Amino acid sequence: MSDSLELLREIAAKEGGFVELRYHAKTSRSVGVDKGKVERSQVRHRKGVGVRVFDGGGWGFASTGSIDADSIRRAVTAARAGATASASRARQGIASLPACTLARGVFDQPGLADLAARTLEEKIDLAIRLEARVRGASSAIRSASCSYNEIFEEKAIVTTDGAAATFRLVRPELRVSAVAEKDGQLSTGNEAVGATGGWDCLFHSATGEALAEHAAKVAQDLLSARHADGGRATVILAPSIVGLLVHEAIGHTVEADFVQAGSVAAGKLGQRVASDLVTLCDSGVSEHYRGAGGTIPVDDEGVIAGRTTIIQDGMLVSYLHNRESAARYGVAPTGNARAWEYSDQPLIRMRNTYLAPGNRSIDEIIADTSDGYLLDGPRNGQADATGEFMFGVQEAWRIQDGRKTELLRGVTLSGIAFEVLESVDAVSSDFRWDLGAGYCGKGQPAKVDAGGPYVRCRALLGGEQ
Amino acid sequence: MNERSLFDLCQNLLELAKKAGADQAEAAAAWQRSSETHLENGSVHTVQSGEETMYGLRVLVGSSQGFVTANDMEPSLMAERAAEAVAQARVNPSDPFFGLPDAETVTPVDGIYDAEVEAIGSTEVTALAADLLARIRELDARVRVDSGSVSALVGTRALASTMGVSVSETASGVDASAFGMAVDGDDVGSFDYDSAESRRWRGFDVAVGEACRRFVDKCRAGLGAGKGESFRGPIVLSPDAVIEFLLPTLIGALGADTVRKGRSPLATKLSQPVAASILSVWEDGRTPGGASSSAFDREGMPVRRRALLSSGVLQSFLYNHYEARAAAGGARSTGNAGGGVSSLPMVGAHRLEVDAGDVAMADLVASGERAIWVGRYSGSTNAVTGDFSGVVKNGWLIRGGERQPVREVLIAGNVFEMLMRVSAISRERQEIGGSALVPAIRAEDVSITAG
Repeated sequence: MSDSLELLREIAAKEGGFVELRYHAKTSRSVGVDKGKVERSQVRHRKGVGVRVFDGGGWGFASTGSIDADSIRRAVTAARAGATASASRARQGIASLPACTLARGVFDQPGLADLAARTLEEKIDLAIRLEARVRGASSAIRSASCSYNEIFEEKAIVTTDGAAATFRLVRPELRVSAVAEKDGQLSTGNEAVGATGGWDCLFHSATGEALAEHAAKVAQDLLSARHADGGRATVILAPSIVGLLVHEAIGHTVEADFVQAGSVAAGKLGQRVASDLVTLCDSGVSEHYRGAGGTIPVDDEGVIAGRTTIIQDGMLVSYLHNRESAARYGVAPTGNARAWEYSDQPLIRMRNTYLAPGNRSIDEIIADTSDGYLLDGPRNGQADATGEFMFGVQEAWRIQDGRKTELLRGVTLSGIAFEVLESVDAVSSDFRWDLGAGYCGKGQPAKVDAGGPYVRCRALLGGEQ
Repeated sequence: MNERSLFDLCQNLLELAKKAGADQAEAAAAWQRSSETHLENGSVHTVQSGEETMYGLRVLVGSSQGFVTANDMEPSLMAERAAEAVAQARVNPSDPFFGLPDAETVTPVDGIYDAEVEAIGSTEVTALAADLLARIRELDARVRVDSGSVSALVGTRALASTMGVSVSETASGVDASAFGMAVDGDDVGSFDYDSAESRRWRGFDVAVGEACRRFVDKCRAGLGAGKGESFRGPIVLSPDAVIEFLLPTLIGALGADTVRKGRSPLATKLSQPVAASILSVWEDGRTPGGASSSAFDREGMPVRRRALLSSGVLQSFLYNHYEARAAAGGARSTGNAGGGVSSLPMVGAHRLEVDAGDVAMADLVASGERAIWVGRYSGSTNAVTGDFSGVVKNGWLIRGGERQPVREVLIAGNVFEMLMRVSAISRERQEIGGSALVPAIRAEDVSITAG
């Protein structure tokens, strides 16, 4: 790593104007077990240098998979030509990037030694054992699978205006799934965890065996569940669904590039957008406890990736920025510039996004709900420029007279994000990161995490008419 | 890098694998050079260029398999990668169905390489990107391009194995896309997207112009959206929604891997009706000049045109070499090994075509009827059960011949049941993403919930 940093520094020292050099090496391992067979065991190595040049209000980007001075210098030349071409067509570009405090030094994250010390045999054994656990959980389980992945990353980031940082981190992920069958009807149960760190972080909230058993139980229980009735309802969202809500429905609308394009968050800074029980943040740090899956110490522009409060007690107080958008808005960059691989340019992306915990217990909130639903386990989710969102839900429990009663299937949660946040009337004191196995897509993937406490609000449920 | 150089790289990898102890090996390599201009917030933002060679090496030691993929070309590192793949195979449990296919005759596809694209640089790509923005502004200034891109690329791929497979192909591609929404004062429409793809540079600006018009029409459809109505009734899926929603679930259930794992509701339905008799679906990855056309699959097997559904009757599942060996009854690979050189061969479909119907798209809902037009579908579909539930985007409530844009409308049901309830198919079809040619499809008796 220090060799890469030195090489980039030597090249940057001879360049004029703004040049950003990023060495990025990734090694990904993946094991997949299905119905008792190891169907996939593979490793991927990809490394290279991505170069950005900012000149005359335009950006150029070029990349090379060859880590030598000549190849990198050729990439600088190509990026410089790209910046010139871009500047000739760009509208309303900024004149220069703002000065800011840039990272210098080594920022390695924990867990590297733990994952490196574990053998491939151990990782295969984990996946075989957990897949077997799912299949053995019930005679109703027709099929099961388990996959284990890990991504090792090394980065060195050097800019001509002062960044010179390196870091290494590792992100393990585990997924288990079950398919149950009865009288020709199928149902599924899925569990997934992901972390930045070692296996202590990966299994912080549940053991692999507990995840396997829960996936099997959900698949089996859903066999006899009926479909929910559609309509507007009181819902208690578990941390996994809260995480999806704050990431998909709020987080994307406050990414400064979306804001500039006219998202619903445009022009709302300083305005009330949620109940005063709502404080919402995005952080490069794993707040509350270690291991959140979107943790980064430094972003890909060399900015320290700290915590940004987006909504404070219901008021919208900040967007998420890279250096360019921060210049447009006259604020400091928030460390949200991220690139998936060396050949990708950095974009404004979230890291670990969460709703801050409140002071009630989940038992109290359920007991205080006469008619509603408890929703847990996201299947997927999307949101729109309008703030309208849609999340598939794995487990929907009916709540009647303060008690969990019936499990329902095929439930979708929808609503307009800020309207739903305005309806929040109870926030629990629990906190869980629960989307660490997830990837956010925005032209390129990004590892992110999200979570929060249990939250009660009003939203629309999709179901039968 | 030309096809000869990539072959040499593959042969070198096979030698390294054998030296490391592999009994059999397959090497796949791909080279690509691209020029791309990114759009952001209605402006040209970044002009990008890049070139890379990646390879993937699959080895067998007895009946155990290992796989490694990398982009490092240093001879010492390549030897390390080969040794790593063999070491993996020695650790991985054996499986009698792992193996490599014998060579088959592969016929090249016409029209997938255009030398003119090879000469395209950032100046031409950036000029077209600026033109795309200008056309959209001219069509409707309320439509904002949040992001998009125009790109030109040339690429070569080659595959060789110790079983005698030896295939290669060079192709070009140009692509333009826009993603954004319409904003009219406080009224913000839903996100939408459109794109144009081609193998040829000449005439591509015409395809870009058509994509701009579709993009603007779709974004405008989201303005002025009001409340919908809750009812059970017909929906019409636009070509975009057919691709987002109906076809992926159907095709997922046709994968031989899904069938083998007990995750396909169609597992026992070969030669039986699984959809309304007006629905026929083809797979054709060999369309001359097609943006996703190719002569061979990830294992070097020939790609063919095949019927998947004929008049609603299931004709075939999709097999790669592993699934053909694992299937009961001596199946053969159907040339459906999917994925790139960076991954193990999976099972995947090629370009899809749905036969056109006999009703004009505008007449899919009669004047006295109530129905929902689904512009796009943003939702969750359980690939195993077929249960779906999601939000209608850029949709309309159609009643009495009037179209009212709606928001917060959810549709729910089961894809496999809905296939049987397809009642009309449009005459017009749209090429989408270079990977499908589809009409609009009407289905009956869907649960619709309005917020």
